[in-house]
Amino acid sequence: MKFATRFRQGMKAAIPVWIAFVPSSIAWGIAAQSHKLTLEEVLLLSAWVYSGPAQFAVLGPLAEGKSAIQVLVAGTLMNLRFLPMSAALAPFFSGVKRLPLLLSSHVVSASSFIVPYLQFQKERESEPQTTGDQVAKGYNNLAFFLGVGVTSFTVWVVGSTTGFIVALGFPAGFEEPLKFILPGYFAGLLVVEMKGWTMPLICAVSLIAAIPGAATSPGWGWLATSFVVALVGWGLEEWNLHAAKSS
Amino acid sequence: MELTRSEIILVLGITALAFRAVPQLFFVGEKFPETWDRLLRYLSYALLCGIISTTLFMQGASLESDVAPHRAAALIVAVIVARKTKSAVTGMLIGTIVVSVLSWF
Repeated sequence: MKFATRFRQGMKAAIPVWIAFVPSSIAWGIAAQSHKLTLEEVLLLSAWVYSGPAQFAVLGPLAEGKSAIQVLVAGTLMNLRFLPMSAALAPFFSGVKRLPLLLSSHVVSASSFIVPYLQFQKERESEPQTTGDQVAKGYNNLAFFLGVGVTSFTVWVVGSTTGFIVALGFPAGFEEPLKFILPGYFAGLLVVEMKGWTMPLICAVSLIAAIPGAATSPGWGWLATSFVVALVGWGLEEWNLHAAKSS
Repeated sequence: MELTRSEIILVLGITALAFRAVPQLFFVGEKFPETWDRLLRYLSYALLCGIISTTLFMQGASLESDVAPHRAAALIVAVIVARKTKSAVTGMLIGTIVVSVLSWF
């Protein structure tokens, strides 16, 4: 199949991701403007970091002029989740040269990862196991991934820029709703995704523990409490899983 | 470490690219352990909740006690609406309306 055809297939599959990206990118652009970031910084964050949660995490510390280490730790901890996503996609790009892989990996994101991953799995199950041209298959998959990733990336960058410009037109007195938009959106995203008991528990405890954490140390306190809460929640679930297996 | 905001963003982008690229470039065929995947997921949930909390309720080391009740109420409404409608956008919009109305009183 031609690269362009496969790319277009990816574009079509990405439409739900674009729809999800429009409100979140606009909300982030509005929040960035209310935090007094410049348009250049908004563009740089959206296009170069390209990670909604990490961009949200660093917004406050960046605007308040917190230390570089603190901003980088918050953003880096959030971006760690790209490791398993990227690792899950890697087997489908066998035979692709390293430079295209390096360039295309920039558009891996939580939302745009799941669409090609599910598509590749479906195709692998429906196709007979052949020893055909694995390199061609790798490039075919890359074209589909780029169709999803590049277009979603474009929507994200354009959306956040639009949000920033729209927020410039808000009259004074709208600080409260502007401050609420992004945290409100992320809280909504989390509850829509919630399953089981571990995640709601981790979220609730982290939400509450961050307050005394930040009161103790405004820079590092909430980071430390969130880290500990996640670790304890994960430990409890691991312990439960082991107990269930051994019984 | 004295870096400008743009330099900090550049470094952050490099780390993000590294996390995205390294598994594809060097660990093709390696499976990421499920348990570590879970830990990273929980870590990002906990961090997001920590940021939501500090963004809405804290100003440095102090609790914004005058506006915190309004924002907490709006957050609860947003969460309930998002859960019921399965739409984060609807939850955000309703929560934003609630916080706007409450801020007028």
